[in-house]
Amino acid sequence: MNTLFWLGTILFILMVLVGGKKGARSFLAIFFNFGVLILTILIMLIPKADPIILTLIASTLISCISLFYINGVSTKTITAFISSIATVVILLFFIVIVTENAMIQGFGEEEAEGISAFSLYIGIDFVKIGASVIIMSTIGAITDTAIAISSPMREIFHHHPSISRKDLFAFGLRMGRDLLGTSTNTLFFAFFGSYLALLIWFKDLSYSIDQIVNSKIFSAEMIAIFFAGIGVASTIPITSWVTAYFLVKKGRK
Amino acid sequence: MVWKDKLKKMSQKQILLYALIGICLAASVLFVHYNHPFYDRPIAKVIKIELTDTTKVTDMHENEDRLFTQRIIAQLKNGDQKGRLIHLTNQYSSSKAYDQQYRVGDELFVSIDANRNENSHLTGTIQGVKRDKYVLMAAWVFILTLLLIGKKQGLLSIISLAVNSILLSYALDVYLHTSGISLLIICGISIILFTTISLLLVNGFNEKTYAAIVATLLGTFMSLLITYLVMQFTSEQGLRYEEMQFVTRPYKVVFMAGVFIGSLGAVMDVAITMSSSIFGLYEKNNNISIKALKASGMEIGKDIMGTMTNILFFAYISGSIPMLILYLKNASPLMFTLSMNLSLELARALAGGIGIVMTIPIGLYTTIFFIKRKRARA
Repeated sequence: MNTLFWLGTILFILMVLVGGKKGARSFLAIFFNFGVLILTILIMLIPKADPIILTLIASTLISCISLFYINGVSTKTITAFISSIATVVILLFFIVIVTENAMIQGFGEEEAEGISAFSLYIGIDFVKIGASVIIMSTIGAITDTAIAISSPMREIFHHHPSISRKDLFAFGLRMGRDLLGTSTNTLFFAFFGSYLALLIWFKDLSYSIDQIVNSKIFSAEMIAIFFAGIGVASTIPITSWVTAYFLVKKGRK
Repeated sequence: MVWKDKLKKMSQKQILLYALIGICLAASVLFVHYNHPFYDRPIAKVIKIELTDTTKVTDMHENEDRLFTQRIIAQLKNGDQKGRLIHLTNQYSSSKAYDQQYRVGDELFVSIDANRNENSHLTGTIQGVKRDKYVLMAAWVFILTLLLIGKKQGLLSIISLAVNSILLSYALDVYLHTSGISLLIICGISIILFTTISLLLVNGFNEKTYAAIVATLLGTFMSLLITYLVMQFTSEQGLRYEEMQFVTRPYKVVFMAGVFIGSLGAVMDVAITMSSSIFGLYEKNNNISIKALKASGMEIGKDIMGTMTNILFFAYISGSIPMLILYLKNASPLMFTLSMNLSLELARALAGGIGIVMTIPIGLYTTIFFIKRKRARA
């Protein structure tokens, strides 16, 4: 039987054993997210569709699935959702500027062999696709950080309803700082793992440092890693602020 | 006034740290902007661009695109002919999948044609773009954001990233230069080092960290075992290694090693979340029953499971988007495109997910074991 099928089945069984109903929902969420991703790619094939706007719509749907479907609709998921989208919009703005200037879009020389059979003049702006890739690879981590901050903030507000907005914000920041190390680590190792083959390739073909740093693939990868880190870090103050604002506003009514 | 008060509040150590960061930033930015003499390859800075030709093209799959030809005059920035002008031509498409549109101010690596005539201008071809300054810029924005938001924790995560990268690079050197040592063994040792270093750096020397280290290692090796067994049992049907890029070594081993390094961060995250929250409950109430700890631990695990698997899923799959678009635009059938490009990424994500979910009970029981030991001592 197919390897992917069995790995998927084992994951499903484990998730249900450990998480029960919520585990099953978490597993289904992966499927829904996969569906959103494929659908987005299919729409991106239309030359007139703007990949940046599509990425924004996809991020919104993905955050909805990861937050509302798995955790239900509540104050904490709503503020986490708003914060995730805000972070994505701000991040996207910077990423587009950088991908355009650093010219890291599309394929590098190292990939020439793999793409030689294809027509490359396909009428789709790869600069925007490049920006979309960076956002999409971070969206999971952004929503995760957002919910991890908004959830304890709501708990604290629940136990101390008289807490000031400023103190609540400070509490959110503190929570976020504790998460920062592990969240960035999660992303870094994921990137390291998927580019292990590339690193071995560079070393095997004895690329010099300057060749590596200036090569399209490596610099694209490094810039993606840095932006992933920036994304996770900036989610912290954004979520703390948004959650503090909404909780206090709602509580005072 | 406020600024002065703040300055007074800062300890000397902090001022020293900020000064050090400032100096590093300035020095490195200056360096990448003026490092041309250090390059062996000739670098030229674009000073004038003329668009000479625009053509509409339609490929065999009815995709419409436009081709542009640029005539570029650039000035050499290094080498014997520094300061001389060089004429270059460049063709690019509006999709820019494998070509670039250059602008005035861009710095390019060029090769200079051997010149027959002393008086005529130099000509050459473009070899690549000097991207080092952009990588550096992104790195600094990253470092400053982490420091500004994360303060001490931000600094520690930067250090942990740097140490882990150096370690990985060193481990790969060892693998490449000593024949006979399996990549999996080297990865096994590296995983132990990565885990110990990252968790100690981010969480310090305490029992929470020790429990997390043990849980991470158990979780990672258990998921390695399961994935390996499944791959053996199904004889890797459905995994399309032919699209794996950059392969200079036995590809299966490289793939497996990538799977485990890739999921390690997520597994560590789960392990430390489990151990610190369970220890947190224990510290609040020393007499809490093991049963209550188990119940709360499982609740926490349920909460993080979904989002953690999502992180890995997106981090892995997104990188394939450009290739998927290229395939589909070249009239490849959807299922073929997906299985060619995503089978390995999906296997990675699923194996990582298995690691994450298994680490929840493993982390729970390891932490409870540490708490029991602590109680027995007390």
